[in-house]
Amino acid sequence: MVGGRGIHRAVRLSPRETQRAFRCEGCAVIPYLVNLATLIAIFGILASSMNVLLGYGGIFSVAHATFMGLGAYAAAQIALLITPDLLLACLAAVIVTSVFSVCLALPSLRVRNEYFIVASLGLQMVAVAVFTDAHAITGGMGGLVGIPQAELFGIPVGGGFAFLIVCLAILVLNLLIVFVLMRGSFGRSLMAMRDNESAAQALGKNIPMLKTFATLLGCSMAGIAGALFAFYLQFVNVESFTIQQSILIVAMVVIGGIGTFSGPLVGAVLLLLLPSALSFIPGLPAEDIGAVQQLIYGLLMVLLMMFRPSGIAGRH
Amino acid sequence: MLYLQLFVVGIQTGALYALAAAGFALIFGATRTFHIAHGATYVLAGYSFLAGLAMGWHWLLAVLLALLVATLFGILIEKYVYKPIQRHRGGFFTVFVASFGVLIAVQSIIELTFGRGFQSISSPLTRSQELLPGLFVAPVFWVVSLLAILCFLAFGFILGRTRPGIALRALSDNPELLRSFGLSANRLSLLAFGLGSALVAPAAVLGIATTGLQASSGTHIMLISSAATIVGGIGSVRGAIVAGLLLGVAESLVVALVNTQWSEAAAFIVLFAFLLVKPSGLFGVRVAR
Repeated sequence: MVGGRGIHRAVRLSPRETQRAFRCEGCAVIPYLVNLATLIAIFGILASSMNVLLGYGGIFSVAHATFMGLGAYAAAQIALLITPDLLLACLAAVIVTSVFSVCLALPSLRVRNEYFIVASLGLQMVAVAVFTDAHAITGGMGGLVGIPQAELFGIPVGGGFAFLIVCLAILVLNLLIVFVLMRGSFGRSLMAMRDNESAAQALGKNIPMLKTFATLLGCSMAGIAGALFAFYLQFVNVESFTIQQSILIVAMVVIGGIGTFSGPLVGAVLLLLLPSALSFIPGLPAEDIGAVQQLIYGLLMVLLMMFRPSGIAGRH
Repeated sequence: MLYLQLFVVGIQTGALYALAAAGFALIFGATRTFHIAHGATYVLAGYSFLAGLAMGWHWLLAVLLALLVATLFGILIEKYVYKPIQRHRGGFFTVFVASFGVLIAVQSIIELTFGRGFQSISSPLTRSQELLPGLFVAPVFWVVSLLAILCFLAFGFILGRTRPGIALRALSDNPELLRSFGLSANRLSLLAFGLGSALVAPAAVLGIATTGLQASSGTHIMLISSAATIVGGIGSVRGAIVAGLLLGVAESLVVALVNTQWSEAAAFIVLFAFLLVKPSGLFGVRVAR
């Protein structure tokens, strides 16, 4: 068929992710909850870093999954080729995503609002094509399998509970960085730019610097989350980094409360608990869970924007 | 010959994109609403057509049903989703998110009702025939081209010659002046949504006849329409039509150069080229700064 529609999948976790996160056949409740909490921590990092762009910087990117993917592939390659050291993998993820964050910063300097959204959508589409095509780096459609368990200073931390602690620690660190930066002069300048770019420029704020640094910050944090994600699944493929994933991350921020500190976390918890809550509904076929989940968060997006645009955690 | 074949397929897809993009561009030009849910209109129209056929209707009746559903859906979304948000002084991003929410919700409702698989129709029209050695063209190609041209002529007539059409163009040029002349911007924006959404119905029917339709096709159409609107130049319906054709051909020809994975990205590579070289687009008047 000409006109490949390879990435037209509904917004849902890939089968493998679903298995790890939500299928719990014959396993105890505790590992299941640990898995879910780990996923929430990883997506908490993604949502709060997305919020740096969307909420504080007014940079309306819809390409966050691209940077998550870049980080995941970088970390996976380091783990597969050199050493499964978590810090080294995260460092590689940060370097790669920082370099590529220029792809987002440049259009943000050149074009505004709708143009930028479409440009970032485009970046996301092109990235998916590259991820699928660059077999040497990403393993193409099949992805990279057999990523070893993560280690910290030679101590294995890939197992369920230990890895959850690591993810939570990184989440807290990430939140701390956001909290401190947004209270400081950088954060205030950033929000001034978001509220009125021309006025901020007139007051001598360095707009290109602000946008570039905000993009760098948001994207490199997404890269770290991607690295954790790769170790969590021990497998990465392009299906986790599609436009649907990007929209899911945007939805977390928006539903939780855009531009608020706790909003992204609330959104991440809510949207990740949704599929597991749905799986307890009797009479709902398992293959429909994805669609029902989407329906709920689609409706949430519409209704919140109509009646409470500040989100769940936002001030009314 | 391969290139010619791909070119023909590209024109076919491009005609479909042009129809969808023209509607998107009209809505965006007249109301400044970035109507992401345009993709939802596409899917709804397509499945209404299929539902009509399934009920044993004549295909023309089914097309009319698709037209009606598309037009109504566009008007309802404007009236009950966008307008309330704009009244509360919501920014463009608020509208964008709500619009995306509509698209996601509609696609999942379709998926729950009709399943996720591809829907297509097979008729004598859709079977390829060998025109030249190695060049296969299905008769539906001529139907597509003719129908697209007819739609654009009708569309051009409405915008160029009728009072509401002229008022619509005025709305996109200068809303304040339009109000001071005593015309209702609200009613005109509903008209823009109705007209723009109606154009999607033939596109969706052709989509079923050529490439097939599935619940998630809406996202693809939304991406293409928004890219075509920018490549064509904001506020220019003509530009969006040309850009739609261009994107269809680009998507098809890319297959000859690299593998099919790139066909979806092709549109955006064209878009980036335009954003870098000529951000105002093909026929744009205002430069995007």
